[in-house]
Amino acid sequence: MTSATLNRRRSRPGPPELDGAHRQWPVIALSDIVKRYQMGGNEVFATRGVSMLVQPGEFVAIMGASGSGKSTLMNIIGCLDVPTSGHYRLDGVNIRDLDDRDISRIRNRKIGFVFQNFNLLSRMSALQNVELPLAYAGIKPKERRRRAEIALDSVTLADRKQHFPSELSGGQQQRVAVARAIVTNPALILADEPTGNLDTASSVDVMSMFTKLHGQGRTVVMITHEEDIAAYATRVIRLRDGVITQDYHQEPIDAHGEHVLHAEEAIRPRAQGEGR
Amino acid sequence: MSTWGNVVMALRGISSNWLRSMLTMLGVLIGVAAVIVLLAVGTGSSQAVESQIDKLGTNTLTVFGTGRFGGGTSETGTQTRNADLTINDVNLISNSNNAPDVQSVSPVITTSETATYDGATYSTSVVGTNPAYLTASNYTISAGRAITAADVKSHAEVVDIGSDVASNLFPTGSNPLGQEIQIGSAEFEVVGLLASKGSSGLTDQDAVAIAPYTAVQDQLTGESESFTELLVQGKSSATLTLAQSEVESILAAQNDTTVADLPFSVLNQASLLSTATSSSKTFTSLLGWVAAVSLLVGAIGVMNIMLVTVTERTREIGIRKAIGAPKSVVLGQFLIEAVVISLLGGLVGVLAGLVVVRFKIAGVQPVLATYSIPLAFGVALLVGIVAGLYPAYRAASLRPIDALRFE
Repeated sequence: MTSATLNRRRSRPGPPELDGAHRQWPVIALSDIVKRYQMGGNEVFATRGVSMLVQPGEFVAIMGASGSGKSTLMNIIGCLDVPTSGHYRLDGVNIRDLDDRDISRIRNRKIGFVFQNFNLLSRMSALQNVELPLAYAGIKPKERRRRAEIALDSVTLADRKQHFPSELSGGQQQRVAVARAIVTNPALILADEPTGNLDTASSVDVMSMFTKLHGQGRTVVMITHEEDIAAYATRVIRLRDGVITQDYHQEPIDAHGEHVLHAEEAIRPRAQGEGR
Repeated sequence: MSTWGNVVMALRGISSNWLRSMLTMLGVLIGVAAVIVLLAVGTGSSQAVESQIDKLGTNTLTVFGTGRFGGGTSETGTQTRNADLTINDVNLISNSNNAPDVQSVSPVITTSETATYDGATYSTSVVGTNPAYLTASNYTISAGRAITAADVKSHAEVVDIGSDVASNLFPTGSNPLGQEIQIGSAEFEVVGLLASKGSSGLTDQDAVAIAPYTAVQDQLTGESESFTELLVQGKSSATLTLAQSEVESILAAQNDTTVADLPFSVLNQASLLSTATSSSKTFTSLLGWVAAVSLLVGAIGVMNIMLVTVTERTREIGIRKAIGAPKSVVLGQFLIEAVVISLLGGLVGVLAGLVVVRFKIAGVQPVLATYSIPLAFGVALLVGIVAGLYPAYRAASLRPIDALRFE
């Protein structure tokens, strides 16, 4: 982040803001996260005590079937939801202490979201979509444009920047979403089933983007239920019934060469991919 | 995000669903235009009434027999005798010992006659009176001279004619002064021309011929001693009510009755004016309320549409919040959108109002009340804020997680 954004609203006690290159603590530190819902008088546990650390530069795939609590976990990590109990520190900041306004700032500056259904604003061009987080960060229009163009360039969409989402393919839309996620230079890129709505070729395309971002030293956390998508990650965390069942590091594949094979395998119905 | 950025965003939102936005604006537009037009109609009609009353004269009382006009308090059946206004009454009232607050009294005989000159005819009202009448009823001489007290005394057959009479009887360019015109069966000499006064709404005040009452009695109405009415001019508007009670008590004494049972009606111009003014004020404020109701309907329309818009754009709100839009920005965005819709509607409404005000409405020429434009604008702004606040608050309070899940 530039000093211009950092210097805004300094007077209020807010979270410490750090340059990504000098982070000394885990990007994500979850300790004993419990999320409980009331459902028609019954208490339903979405997570039953999840603890994990994600260090800077990791590429983590969180896996699990539907109902495993992975979406709840993703919402908590993304500061879209608060846990019933437990502590969550994002890039050193305790989320529990923050008011609504500070949470907005955290989402704006520390997290870059990539959603399954892209979630671009249809009435804005690709460039305007990418500029939007910078606008909320209070950055001047000229600087906004410059940075948004760089971000679109890095997802190789510089020539499509004036197109509207409806004029772009699914893969291109998701790349715009990736550009929007990285434009604020966040501590964490949080992707929720990023290939869920894409065909195989586009999936490979988008995953190669994440591999590239990871290669640049960025921290990526991705929720998925597809094994071959999880294969791109350096670490896999499996959830079942709201608890972590497996947590291991792996040698990631990349999107080139022999891994076309993976793309072909991905053609099989998704329902099977949801297996244990 | 800057306010300007929000306005641009709002305009984009409005244009993306322009038919709906137009219809919403139409509600505000009609409300604002109604405020301007109805207030203008109210103002116009009250001005018309005031100017009509003004034309009756300055500080005047009009006395007329209720026996002739009907509907008076004395019409009990026993009071019909001797309810005439005579020269004796005139003399008593003009005596400053009896009525110190009366400036002048003019007896008036009105009759409708056909005037003829050189083959041209014109139907005019003839007023037989004395010279004071001209001052009391705001007539001015544009050429020649007014009738004089000497004319009255000598029963001179002279006449001052109104501009309509002159233009209808005499060819343009000719000089009517000194000409003899025939009124009814008598010949009158034109000695003066009256400046135009315009219509009082009830009668054409320029279709008039003013002659000494003595001559009118001699030549046109016969030797009746009674007058149609008396025109009494008070010394000032402040003492007009005093003058009225003086006149009433003189007439009561003359007719052996009390003021309450007086067989005459005394019309006080000042009280007439204040009655008319207060009733036209009521009328104007009533119209204002009607306009306010239509603005309220417009406001409900804006609120309704904003609620629909917020629901429709729940997902967008979720996305914006997820990428870091604070509550205040979302609130501002929807509030500005509502205000922009209202202000655009208001602007077009003002223009529409200004156009409509140029035409006569229900026989009244509307007079634009200048205060109504900022009023209408202010109300439109208020409508936008009030109608936008709740929907905007709803949008701002949406939890991003719920909003993103919304299909």
